[in-house]
Amino acid sequence: MAHGHEQHGHGALTEPKTLPASLQAPEVVAAWRTRALIVAAVAAIASLLFLFAGGADHVMRGYLLGWMMTFSLCGGGLCLLMLQYVSGGKWGLLLRRPLEAMTRTLPLVIILLIPILVFAKKLYLWAAFPTFESVEEGLKSKLLTEAQAHALNFKRPMLSPVSVIVQMVVVFAIMGAFTYFLNKWSLEREADPERGSQGSYDRWRIKFENLSGIGVLIYCGLLTIVAIDFIMALDVTWYSSVWGLLFLVGQGYVVLAAAVHSSIRLAKYEPMATILRKTEQYDLGKFMLGFVMLNIYLAFAQFLIIWSGNVPEELPWYLNRIRGGWWVICTCDFIFHWVIPFVLLLSRDLKRSRSKMLALTGWMIFARGFDLFWLIEPNFPDAARNLHLSGNLSILAYITVPVAILGIWMAFYLTTLMSRPLVVVNDPHTEEILEPEHAH
Amino acid sequence: MPVKEGIYGLLAEFDTPGALVDATEAARDAGYRRMECYTPYPVEEAAEALGAVRNRVPLLTLMGGIMGLTTAFLMQTWISRWGYPMNFAGRPLFSWPAFIIPTYEWTILFSGLSAAFGMLALNGLPQPYHPLFNAPNFRQGATDHKFFLCLEAIDPKFDVNETRAFLEQFHAVSVVEVDL
Repeated sequence: MAHGHEQHGHGALTEPKTLPASLQAPEVVAAWRTRALIVAAVAAIASLLFLFAGGADHVMRGYLLGWMMTFSLCGGGLCLLMLQYVSGGKWGLLLRRPLEAMTRTLPLVIILLIPILVFAKKLYLWAAFPTFESVEEGLKSKLLTEAQAHALNFKRPMLSPVSVIVQMVVVFAIMGAFTYFLNKWSLEREADPERGSQGSYDRWRIKFENLSGIGVLIYCGLLTIVAIDFIMALDVTWYSSVWGLLFLVGQGYVVLAAAVHSSIRLAKYEPMATILRKTEQYDLGKFMLGFVMLNIYLAFAQFLIIWSGNVPEELPWYLNRIRGGWWVICTCDFIFHWVIPFVLLLSRDLKRSRSKMLALTGWMIFARGFDLFWLIEPNFPDAARNLHLSGNLSILAYITVPVAILGIWMAFYLTTLMSRPLVVVNDPHTEEILEPEHAH
Repeated sequence: MPVKEGIYGLLAEFDTPGALVDATEAARDAGYRRMECYTPYPVEEAAEALGAVRNRVPLLTLMGGIMGLTTAFLMQTWISRWGYPMNFAGRPLFSWPAFIIPTYEWTILFSGLSAAFGMLALNGLPQPYHPLFNAPNFRQGATDHKFFLCLEAIDPKFDVNETRAFLEQFHAVSVVEVDL
């Protein structure tokens, strides 16, 4: 409907806007980066205090949460970037540069994974008992239950140190290849000598579509592997076939929130101020509402199936997360993660308001972290069905460590964001996004 | 039923939405309120010029959704707890997790129906007769390529001569009187 609008005579109503001379990210981004690093440093010092006060376990688990958030932002950014190439649309044009910047944080995400692999014995039974003999010994010395021993032996092809490292090499190599080509082509597209012509538009669109279509499919598999190896395997006996999808939707939730948050913050300055219209912000708000719904739908479906089945292999996973004080966290998770964003995103005015969307998207990033806390912490015997603060203050490392890691990630993300112009020019949507609102 | 006589309003015909919106804005500024734009496809600027940006469809949808939610949940609660209390796998009679999916579906169903029928009702549909179809140019152009502004006679500011003079200043293709 955007094509041929001139025939309807709308051109006469208002003139299209023109892009500012400089399309680079505003200088204020460098100040944000400094601020992110300061926050990261303060949080890191607090985390070190927990570490030396005997809270090494919680620091490790908090680190896992923080890493999973950075992986969600990086990998989810890659997935959403490919999705917008496949689906098209002006919302994608708006988010393309922030999403590209997220994908280019991949090296940092890989480096941040190394401590988890080094200290994997603290977190995972598959790392502590990697062989058949060690499982037998663990069984004899009552360190493992029968069920755990059985699951460890049965799942060893996937869950053993060597296997996990091989899987990660494959996962990150493939993600790296897609990141490389999508980012490289994006620059080449802007430098195309025939830019601005229909031929150039079509050639690049088809090129990106062909890579992205298969990419989205492959990424779903890669993400499932990561989510199983590092989160589901915290409880080696438990399994859920919707797990990968749950994390995929969770990534859509957090990446969309982060990308919209970035865009609205950037829109206080040029050049984003020219291209962020209420129409696209409203569309993105509706898209976010879709992810909020799908997220609770899948999370509840998993619960309903396990609740209906009522079998002892599966049910304890939920009982660990409901009983012994966890009911409070579980309820808060439901309210933070679903009720608040759902109820607020129903409002049309809120979706069109910049300040309110800024607050809500920030809240959604926090809510995703809170959800991960509920997923991670009750896996451990000292916390399952037993949530307590007294004598357990180091559990607060779940706040400080992720803040430190996300602060570092954010500094890296803002650096990559500054390295390219914020507005994509060689795309037919650019012209449309400069039109006055409602001109369709 | 007595036959009504008189004028429904003055209908101005335009070739472009831009001209329609300009005329509508001027009419609103001049104090006209009982007026309507007719376009072959949605022109959001025209709705804004009419001052009709908000409507009550969202509210009706929300109310329908809440009605579906409570109806489904209470109905299932009554059936399972009091109407037909049966033992399923030893679970409590009030097993709310099992009620959620139908409750969710009913919420969507009721809000969807409320939105669709609420929209029709607020538009005054179905409407088997409308005076505007007495104007031949409206019959031919309104669904195809013409843009119309009708200032209705019910408006206190309406006066056949003055309003016609007002509309003619916008270079309308035609300004015709529409019979009731």
